[in-house]
Amino acid sequence: MRRAASLAENGTWWAPWIGGSLVGIVVLAALLGPLVVGADPNRQDLAHVLMGPSREALLGTDQLGRSVLARLVYAARLSLSLGAMAVAAAAIPGIALGLAAAFAGGWTDRLVSSLADAILAVPGLILVLLIAALAPGAFWPLFLGLSLIQWVEWFRMTRAASRSALASPAVEAARLLGFGPWHILYRHVLPDLLPLFGILGAFGLGSAVLSLSALGFIGFGLRPPTPEWGSMMVEMLPYWNEAPLALLMPPLCLLTLILGLQILARR
Amino acid sequence: MGRLVAILGQRLVQAVTVAFVVSLLCFALAQLLPGDQALQIAQRRYGDDRVTTAAAEAVRAELGLERPLALQLIDWMGRTVSGDLGRSLVSGAPVWEEIRDQLGATLALAGAALGLALLLGPVFGALAGLRPGGLADRAGMAAAAAFRAVPNFVVGLLLMVGCTVLFGWLPVGDSRGWLSLLLPALTLGLGLAATSARIARDGVVAALRSPFFAFARMKGLSRAEAILRHVPRNAAVPLIAYLAVSFAFLIEGVVVVEEIFAWPGIGHALTHAIEGRDVPMIQGTALMLSLLLVLLNALTDLALLLVDPRRRA
Amino acid sequence: MTLTIENLRIAAAGAVLVRDVSLTLEPYRTVTILGETGSGKTLVAEAAMGTVAPELAVSGRIADGGEISDAADQGARRGAWGRRIAMLPQEPWVSLDPTMRSLAQVAEGHRFVRGLGPGPARRQARADLASLNLAAGDDRYPHQLSGGMAQRVAFASARAGGAPITLADEPTKGLDATMRDAVVALLRKAVEEGGSLLCITHDIAVAKALGGEIIVMLKGEIVERGDADTVLVAPSHPYTRRLVAAAPENWPTATATATASVPGDVVLEGTELAVSRNGRRLFSDLDLAVRAGEWIGVTGPSGCGKTTLGNVLLGLMPPASGRVRRRAGVASTRFQKLYQDPVATFSRHVSLRTALAETTARHRVSFDDVMTLLERLRVPVALLDRRPDQVSGGELQRVSLARVLVAKPIFLFADEPTSRLDPITQQETMDVMREVTRERGCGTLLVTHDRTMAERITERRITLGSDLA
Repeated sequence: MRRAASLAENGTWWAPWIGGSLVGIVVLAALLGPLVVGADPNRQDLAHVLMGPSREALLGTDQLGRSVLARLVYAARLSLSLGAMAVAAAAIPGIALGLAAAFAGGWTDRLVSSLADAILAVPGLILVLLIAALAPGAFWPLFLGLSLIQWVEWFRMTRAASRSALASPAVEAARLLGFGPWHILYRHVLPDLLPLFGILGAFGLGSAVLSLSALGFIGFGLRPPTPEWGSMMVEMLPYWNEAPLALLMPPLCLLTLILGLQILARR
Repeated sequence: MGRLVAILGQRLVQAVTVAFVVSLLCFALAQLLPGDQALQIAQRRYGDDRVTTAAAEAVRAELGLERPLALQLIDWMGRTVSGDLGRSLVSGAPVWEEIRDQLGATLALAGAALGLALLLGPVFGALAGLRPGGLADRAGMAAAAAFRAVPNFVVGLLLMVGCTVLFGWLPVGDSRGWLSLLLPALTLGLGLAATSARIARDGVVAALRSPFFAFARMKGLSRAEAILRHVPRNAAVPLIAYLAVSFAFLIEGVVVVEEIFAWPGIGHALTHAIEGRDVPMIQGTALMLSLLLVLLNALTDLALLLVDPRRRA
Repeated sequence: MTLTIENLRIAAAGAVLVRDVSLTLEPYRTVTILGETGSGKTLVAEAAMGTVAPELAVSGRIADGGEISDAADQGARRGAWGRRIAMLPQEPWVSLDPTMRSLAQVAEGHRFVRGLGPGPARRQARADLASLNLAAGDDRYPHQLSGGMAQRVAFASARAGGAPITLADEPTKGLDATMRDAVVALLRKAVEEGGSLLCITHDIAVAKALGGEIIVMLKGEIVERGDADTVLVAPSHPYTRRLVAAAPENWPTATATATASVPGDVVLEGTELAVSRNGRRLFSDLDLAVRAGEWIGVTGPSGCGKTTLGNVLLGLMPPASGRVRRRAGVASTRFQKLYQDPVATFSRHVSLRTALAETTARHRVSFDDVMTLLERLRVPVALLDRRPDQVSGGELQRVSLARVLVAKPIFLFADEPTSRLDPITQQETMDVMREVTRERGCGTLLVTHDRTMAERITERRITLGSDLA
């Protein structure tokens, strides 16, 4: 009973393996899929639209006769790479500014914190929509918008965790013993931050992929015919009766990735 | 009392910040969108074929579009902050008039979703939390984890297809009164319900394991008495605090869900305005949605103040 | 009502934790179980309440007021909670519901345990609080209560159910002398009103103040028992003798042990120091000179600014007014600090060996010197490969002393360095600290809430907090 309770609370040893494999499947599909599948995701074949699974298209074809499998794996590649780039572009300035604010304090801290508050005050997706409106269907405003809303999270978490590490007796003792800021950073602050970065990375990748698909779903994603899960769903919605598999596959892929990332981030 | 003023003051600052950020972005949007602004406005006013260069120049002079950018920006922001949202480029009607009815629809949707989430989430969460590690806990929390992983637009998609298959009726618009509200509200509320179930569960478990709960039992209170007197308030504190955070997701969800179900609210109007490049409408709707978030946050502040005496100090 | 425990035995998978403990507690009587961490004394209290962890095997018999139960049947003890035995919480400030007013927390005992109506229950609770001089605390929430007030609210609410037997497990843990005396007075009051008291403590002063029967436990067994006047004055078992000798009041006084070393030059001087917290002046016009090799004690109630004074002298925070002057031409790293909780002063992520090696490298000292020092401090070398949280408190405090000594301090601020240790470990640790610092000419400022200890081991003392009253 007690053991069960503690397991339910701390997760189980196999939880990260499950999360890892779910994410791993999608990552592998994104990396190797295009090589294995071979088909061009944008090659239309109007003679063979909304077909069931066949040798040429293992998961059938869509309303323009394109291979659903090929589009899925290219979409995975797109979502993951855009997500990873957005996370990296958010993490680097976020961590740097968070550390700077925590170590310097004073005006540096106040300035960056109020900038972060200003961005946080507006719901993230609306901010992305406004930026995406600048160049509908283009890649860079989406990337810019997603990084812009995500760096705030990195900044805030890094700042909070660093501040509490810096306020600890261990850091006070280290300073009294004559250790400099670099030693304190790598011995006392970074070890506390690293697990946090893992969680933020998984969470950030998940929400970036999700936002991209949500935008695609409501018609503000990348310009067609770019294969993307969200826009694939919306394109196939009218044909739910004729090609249910083609409609269900994109949400399934998205779900696999998000669930895996959520388990990894322990949310 | 002092705390109340401080908190409301903080939210007021947030509201002004929101107006500042949104209007700055919208001004940039107006400048960067391709094409001549004055010509576009003139086209919308007089129709594509009857527009002349002279008409465009008249519009330019009227709106002061030939002045330096910095001046235009100050002017623009001043008007936004003072509540003058301008006129829609598409319909020509004042933005506020356009938004007024949509605001009601959005509030109904958000309210219904929130009600649904708060009806389902905390109840299931508390039931799970009362026996941590038990069957209800594990099954309930696994379900909650799964629901949190399903994006709202996928829920919407499934509900839409399901509704069409079962009832032969496509649930879009608001043609069927409260019935047509149910599906978008469910779409919007499920994720929130799953999250609040988790938080409520953890809150109940924490209260049950707290020293004050153990002490209440040691005083001689039965388990049921101790639970009724010491768990609800203490478990509500983290739940309300978390709701404040998840309201941002609620507002984002409003935009997506309204678009999917063609629900005539502000979110829908925002996406429409972006498609039509109607900058005053974009600004008005984005501002309304952001201010709605500020309002919800202020309400949670007040609720926390009510529930948690520690915050009143 | 008489509480009887017969042949209590508690065992874990591989070890017997409590062996053959029997005791009888009669009305108007007090029984105190004295012992160090791990002696099994808390398990006895848990068995009386039926709250022993389920993985432990319990046997024996427990009876109160004629109801006899098998100690193994822990559920049977629940009927006694609040009705026959009142358990005082160890830390009252976290044992009160933070969202409920004091009065309601006391009244619920009257209402739900004794079955009074809501109105009479509130009136009774108000009378309880008034009898503890707490009338003002009626409608306050726990965060608005001082530590002493929370203690009294918890006392009143634990006893509201009308239980004649009071059980207190380490009721004075972490309290300063003033608060400790107040708690002892509360406990005595419970006995004088016709109840009986079972108190578990490691504090000999508390045992002495409570009187009655003393039971001394070591490694799960009773090694000595008898009347307080006998056991604490003329102990017969060797362990009891060491325990009694380790009580600060029985330590030899500083003047008697002070070695020939005469205090040297001034290493640190504070003039006209004043310190405020939250706009309240804690102390002012304090002049203080610390000389090489001497020990100065700082005592006073919690919150009087003892730690702040040390931090100001170390330059960790500025004083509200006044100034601190260090001896000229001395490296800033020669002013050091020892903390109450040594675990928090090491990185959790590396072994103690790494932490020490980094310190010796920083100060260009040979690691062998530290090894020699550790041997002198009687720290087993094998401990060095562990993380800080895997080492006992006494040993870790000695490792921190070794680490601090690497910097060759001329001034050491020791902030309650032994207050979390058991008495015998505390005395050993204090002795070795004093010996090493004296020998190296390091002036030491010892902050402690234990006035008696300060009187025994420091040559001079400062008492703060007189302004507060």
